[in-house]
Amino acid sequence: MVKYILKRLGYLIFVLFLVSIVLFGIFKLVPGDPVAMMLEGQRLSMKPEAYELLYEQTRESFGLDQPLPVQYFKWLINTVQGDLGYSIQYKKPVIDVLQTPLMNTIQLNILTLILTFAITIPLGIATAVKKYSAFDNSVQVLSVVGYSIPSFIIGLVFIFLFSVLIPIFPISGSVTPGSDYTGMQAILDKLWYMALPVIVMTVGSLGGITRYVRGAMIEALQMDYIRTARAKGLKEKTVIYVHAFRNSLVPLVTIMTGWLVSLFGGSVVIESIFNWNGMGELLVTSLRQQDFAVAMAIQIFFVLLVLVGNLVMDLGYCLVDPRVKLD
Amino acid sequence: MKKKSNLFIIIKSLFLGSKHLDEVDVFKEDELQSPFRTIVKNFLENKIAMTGLVVFSFILFCSLILPFFYPLDTSFQDSTQQNVAPGLNILSVPSSLSKDVEQISVGSTYSFGIDNEGELYSWGQLSNSKLLDIPEDMGDLVQISTGLDHVLALSEDGIVYTWGNNRLGLGDIPSEVEELTNIAKVYAGQQLSFVITDDGYLYSWGNTNIINVRIPEEIQGKVVDVQTNTAAAVALTDEGTIHVLLNQDTPLNKIPEEIQGHIVDFALTSQNCIAVTDDGMVYVWGGLYPSVETIPDAVQGIAKDVAAGRNHVTVVTTEGTVYSWGRNVYGEANAPSITNAVSVSAGYYQNYVVLEDNSLVTWGLSGYIMGTDAYGRDVLNRLIAGGQMTILIGAIAVLIQSIIGILVGGFAGYYGGRIDNFLMRMAEVVGSIPFIPLAMILSAVIGSSISEDARIIMIMVILGVLSWPGLARLIRGQVLAEKQKEFVTAAKAMGLKERVIIFKHILPNVITVIIVSVTLSFASSMLTETSLSFLGFGVLEPRATWGNMLTGSQSSTVIQVFWWRWVFPALALGLSTISINLIGDGLRNAIDPKSNER
Repeated sequence: MVKYILKRLGYLIFVLFLVSIVLFGIFKLVPGDPVAMMLEGQRLSMKPEAYELLYEQTRESFGLDQPLPVQYFKWLINTVQGDLGYSIQYKKPVIDVLQTPLMNTIQLNILTLILTFAITIPLGIATAVKKYSAFDNSVQVLSVVGYSIPSFIIGLVFIFLFSVLIPIFPISGSVTPGSDYTGMQAILDKLWYMALPVIVMTVGSLGGITRYVRGAMIEALQMDYIRTARAKGLKEKTVIYVHAFRNSLVPLVTIMTGWLVSLFGGSVVIESIFNWNGMGELLVTSLRQQDFAVAMAIQIFFVLLVLVGNLVMDLGYCLVDPRVKLD
Repeated sequence: MKKKSNLFIIIKSLFLGSKHLDEVDVFKEDELQSPFRTIVKNFLENKIAMTGLVVFSFILFCSLILPFFYPLDTSFQDSTQQNVAPGLNILSVPSSLSKDVEQISVGSTYSFGIDNEGELYSWGQLSNSKLLDIPEDMGDLVQISTGLDHVLALSEDGIVYTWGNNRLGLGDIPSEVEELTNIAKVYAGQQLSFVITDDGYLYSWGNTNIINVRIPEEIQGKVVDVQTNTAAAVALTDEGTIHVLLNQDTPLNKIPEEIQGHIVDFALTSQNCIAVTDDGMVYVWGGLYPSVETIPDAVQGIAKDVAAGRNHVTVVTTEGTVYSWGRNVYGEANAPSITNAVSVSAGYYQNYVVLEDNSLVTWGLSGYIMGTDAYGRDVLNRLIAGGQMTILIGAIAVLIQSIIGILVGGFAGYYGGRIDNFLMRMAEVVGSIPFIPLAMILSAVIGSSISEDARIIMIMVILGVLSWPGLARLIRGQVLAEKQKEFVTAAKAMGLKERVIIFKHILPNVITVIIVSVTLSFASSMLTETSLSFLGFGVLEPRATWGNMLTGSQSSTVIQVFWWRWVFPALALGLSTISINLIGDGLRNAIDPKSNER
């Protein structure tokens, strides 16, 4: 077990290394001179000679005069130490800029995750048990519709329904402007703003995940041990929820990783629609403002998240299925 | 020979349905049960999948064929046609008016008219709800004039009324005008109102921020007509001279010297001024609008009455014929061949010609089926062009993705060992990068320094290069399974080259899986492209895609009031992806009926 985790961690670091080279390459492709952009404000207020000197000093302090491999390793070491650079847009270190959006995005996605599973697992089981019934067929058709429609269109429809037609939820934002709620009230306010994005993201995920749960469950229900369990005279409930469901979890864990990637990727669009102060919204605004240091840090976060997610899923495998040998 | 006839029957059955196969005798029928035919049969029997196929074929037809007939003019914008609701009633003149016309005045997407009894009529898309606040007890009207979003009316008693947009002083008739008793003509322009008295004095009020009207002293007492477009106001005097009522020098000031003093009628398009002289000649000057500047020879010498829309000109001749020329996207320059025309009212994209018997002939823009967007562009036109772009990007991205996926998956599966390990690790690295953020960064970093065409190609490549791992993994699994079968061993024993074994023996056996997977990733490529364009990191304005047509739709005004701007693109996109996914599901079920169990 420990050996396996170590092996996975080693692999994770290797992948991160590869990705970091790609990211550094993109970073270097960024047009324009970052130092000149940073000093833009001072340029007019200073004498040309003094500006020239400051420019050279800044350039040196950022190590931009050194060869690329050296720059890369410096960048890598800085990144590992948490120094992700300096945001031109916010005029402060990137790490400080990221904190609130990071929390917001994680909260948004975790709530979606919980809500999606709370709906799809019972639904998937129900459709698998009663497969080809009218109920199953209608869920099947709806789920094709659900996973075919892009989340931003679902978002538009839901804004129209629940913010404009029946104004229950706010159209956009992540906190009531001008409010300084504390404690319970702050949480409720946040949940109120979070409701619509979470509902939209959940609805967007429902179709695909329900189909997977149904498929895995149907396969499990065809196994010989289910026949054995029924032959033993176990209650149908026990057969479904204990024997079949437990076994259907294994393929589910596999698709979880892929879904997590698309969930966090998709939340970029949703956050942008709802002006939700998260990583996705920050990515969009920082790219529009040419604030590439922030964009890079967000990309690193996404990659890290997916790799850690992969690791957790691997570990989840051995939790749900003791037969899986980790080697 | 036998092979050919089988194929023929399959193709025939594709179009004529399986009933047609009754003619085939029993032995042939038996022979025909090839796996491919079973797949086609299964697919054709799947009603849901066939519905998907029909819907998608329709969308594909619209997006690939229609752009050749309705090309998108990316440079076109018109501030007078912003956010027009869907409808086809712009030219629907009330029947009681069309028999007995006194005067018609054309507004941006609506018109007002009065009949011989002084009764007022309105039709079209009233761009501003205030246009319906028609003052009561105006009495019989003798003249009407419509601007962009306001109306001026002159009653029998010589009183001026105004309604519609009343901001920026437009609604307040100046007291000096109210005191006038000898008003001869009223004229409403773009948020400007003019009044001309019968002794040639011109008065104006309204929004001077758009056009700062300056009436020269020397023309006061001589003015007989005034016209405006979105940038200028021009007056005609009783001496037959034209004066531009602006402080600054514009191309409109380049009035041909030789015609000054001979002008009898004139009109303004968005950029040009068109004048008719007393000898029936037509002159055009002003902006650079070649199609407006090419005057048909047939009108020269016989022109009598001229009127102009935004980008077209209509002339009535002394012989009673009508000629139109200029931009002709909405049919506004398709003049009918008539010989009894008396006068013409044209404006924006509409034409109304009054005939000798006081009846009306109309042509031009009858409305926008799907409305217009914030820049006054036809949503339907952009929807068709956007479909072409979205489908093209999706298709090429899928092509790139399939080539990489098939190569990587095929080699990894066939060779196994180290190559497999390396290729699959690569796939894992690429697959573990969240797609949309990376595509956004790449698009922002590289896209800012290249041309728009290169940018679109870059988006196709990004989409293709980043999304192959799923397909590669699938093919690898299939190849691994096929590799163990006897026919591969046989092929190896025959000493065939490995390349031949992979692509000629194994690949045909996994091709069905590839087709299904490619169909499904076509839908997801389209979705990703629209998401990127929606966020402003894909195809940019003014080029259209379904994604960037939806940009900004989340604001409450657009979502509720201008619903046509998001409903139609969203519907087109949703229908396409749903139908593609239904086709993909149907194909999967047709190829492997057992997969339905899963």
